[in-house]
Amino acid sequence: MTAAPTKPAVTPVQATRSTPPPRRGKGNRAHVLAIWVFLLPAAVLALYFKFIPMAEGIRLSLFKVQPFLGDVFVGFDNYASVLTDARFMEALGHTVILGLTQTIGALVVGFVLALLLEGQAKSLWFLRTAIFLPVVTALAVVGEIWRILYFPTADGPLNTILSWVGLGPLQFLNGTDTALWSIAVVGIWSGAPYNMVIILAGLAGIDRALYESAGVDGATIWQRLRYITLPALRPAIVIVLTLAAIRSLRSFTEVYVLTGGGPAGSTEVWMTRMYSLGFQRNDIGVASAAAVLLLVVTLLLTVGTQLLARRKAER
Amino acid sequence: MDSKFTPRSRGALAFTLAAAALLSGCSAGSSKPAAADDGQPIEVWARAGTDASTTYAAMFKEFTAKTGVQVNFQGVPDLDQQLQTRAASKKLPDIVINDSAALGNYTAQGYLVKVDKSTVEGNAKIADSLWNETKGLDGATYGVPFSRQTMVTMIRKDWREKLGLPVPKTQEDLEKLATAFATMDPDGNGQADTYGMTVPGSTERGYMAWWASSYLWQDGGGYLKDEGNGKFSATASTPETQKGVTWIKQQFCTPGNTQPGALTAATSVASPFFQTGKTGIILTGPYNFSSFDTSLGGKDKYEVIETPKGSVDSTVLAEGENIYVTASNGKPEQTKQVINYLVSADGQKAGMTAGKQPIVRVPVNSDVDAAAVYNDPRWAVVQNALKNSSKAFPSAINFVPIKQVAAEALNKIVADCGADNVASGLKDLDTAINNELTNQNAKS
Repeated sequence: MTAAPTKPAVTPVQATRSTPPPRRGKGNRAHVLAIWVFLLPAAVLALYFKFIPMAEGIRLSLFKVQPFLGDVFVGFDNYASVLTDARFMEALGHTVILGLTQTIGALVVGFVLALLLEGQAKSLWFLRTAIFLPVVTALAVVGEIWRILYFPTADGPLNTILSWVGLGPLQFLNGTDTALWSIAVVGIWSGAPYNMVIILAGLAGIDRALYESAGVDGATIWQRLRYITLPALRPAIVIVLTLAAIRSLRSFTEVYVLTGGGPAGSTEVWMTRMYSLGFQRNDIGVASAAAVLLLVVTLLLTVGTQLLARRKAER
Repeated sequence: MDSKFTPRSRGALAFTLAAAALLSGCSAGSSKPAAADDGQPIEVWARAGTDASTTYAAMFKEFTAKTGVQVNFQGVPDLDQQLQTRAASKKLPDIVINDSAALGNYTAQGYLVKVDKSTVEGNAKIADSLWNETKGLDGATYGVPFSRQTMVTMIRKDWREKLGLPVPKTQEDLEKLATAFATMDPDGNGQADTYGMTVPGSTERGYMAWWASSYLWQDGGGYLKDEGNGKFSATASTPETQKGVTWIKQQFCTPGNTQPGALTAATSVASPFFQTGKTGIILTGPYNFSSFDTSLGGKDKYEVIETPKGSVDSTVLAEGENIYVTASNGKPEQTKQVINYLVSADGQKAGMTAGKQPIVRVPVNSDVDAAAVYNDPRWAVVQNALKNSSKAFPSAINFVPIKQVAAEALNKIVADCGADNVASGLKDLDTAINNELTNQNAKS
């Protein structure tokens, strides 16, 4: 640029000034207005039902909440009482165990289901729909059904089946050692089909020719899975993992319906503890602090998963 | 103007303004509002489901016909949550009818105004012991008793007679009967599918502590003790309480004495076991009479017995509803009329019979006799228990957190049958209760 140009140099700003701008006329303005008009309903709804309650939640977490007398500012006391509460820490442990088990379990089962049910046949379409049903069924209903299946006597439905192979009777939800795992199974059962659908979409995108040439080269089924299917599915698996991580930290309904946190607090998770503090003990301030902490952890986890995935993809 | 504000920035500005308006609207004012009469009918809220609401509505219809005072009544199942919402907008309903145990929570939240007992017509017809349950920590009266009841023990009469066993008189008898119901096939279907007691052993809403309290008192124990002057102290680790909890644990740890899944059962899950003929013993409130009559197919299928005695006495948990006047009530004259009617003989009778489900269980007005009004001797059992051997949770403090920690502790103790954890578990509970009392400035 320092070499003398034949024409005087013009800065970009000058350029936009001197040359007529791309016509910002009526057409363009109407276009922008249309964007805003279309955006407005969603934005107002989001503002009212998402952002304001969220801000309010963060505000409440700093107060001793007593709506009628007026809230009292307590700084970070609520956070301190959450972080020093032994039951919250226990609940955190259970949440992590439940989250990991459900996430990995639902991923593996979803993957196997997807491999089994990939294809175009009518019968497969029917099977896929049937298997997807748990996802669209209300979790409260699912919980009641599993409560019956898990009936802890020898004549309970699942215990009857176990007795055919000489096992049981198990206590399932009623035992402090088995309750959390029993809930995890329900979570996997209702979460796996969702993962199956995402993975199926991923599978459909894999070029069949790759399998054929691998077959010609004498690759075993396991090798085809390991070197073709799994790498191609990476984006799908990242989505599944991110969603599962968020969902599993917030798991509430299945625990609440199945055990209410019992027996002996062995299935208490973050959300059920939060619920009983907020709505059964009326301690909204502490419950809000717990909710904000959950939000922060979820945010970190989501960003973490995304970063990890991006770094892997770049490599 | 055009050159300064692009459509985009104008939109953003509108947005910011709207958001600011909304946010400032949300956090307006934090002082206690003054009570004022808005000229609308007096608003009365009660914790009531559909059936109870129809009774309330019928009762207030009679009231309006008598006095000409219009009442806007709402039956609200999740009353406390809804009250919070109304409290945030600083406009509570004028009168709230809810559990006597809610008093401590409501006074702590500043919801209530004091009631002058002497202005209530016929206040002498309400027993002093009931008036005492409406006192706050400062000793002032914050409510008017409306209805009372006790827990009662109900037993499958046909099962008991089939097995040739006597009506249980003691906790030991009760335990034996429970085991017999579980092991001797009382329904005669040839399968071991019956159990002894129906127990809501879940920690949800403190059900476990609610159910267990009667048995603890019967052995002379309990969760806490009133030390007078609005001060309390925990008694959860006394030898008497340990004895009671040991008996309770025995029931959970003898297969069949309690229904399967009792540790995670709230009342909604537990009661159907009795209703469908899977268990033969239940300790619950008398409001279940009509639904049990229907589901079991008649009054003669089960009996309401005098509570079996523990090692000390046969105390059972008493509960009830009070009438509360809120701090935003600006209608003193109408309020007085409503209260006077609700505790009058007419009002109490209407509450018992005007609808499908009684909202006055055992009347607080001594002129009204429950057994006679219902024409049902089972109510005499409740009435006698209430008079002679009942005890209520303290209402001056916020008992909900204490019930919750007690339920969590008991649930933990009885869940582990192999461990000798009664003493250690109760010691922890004792500490937890004392901590909670300290938080509420009610620790002696």
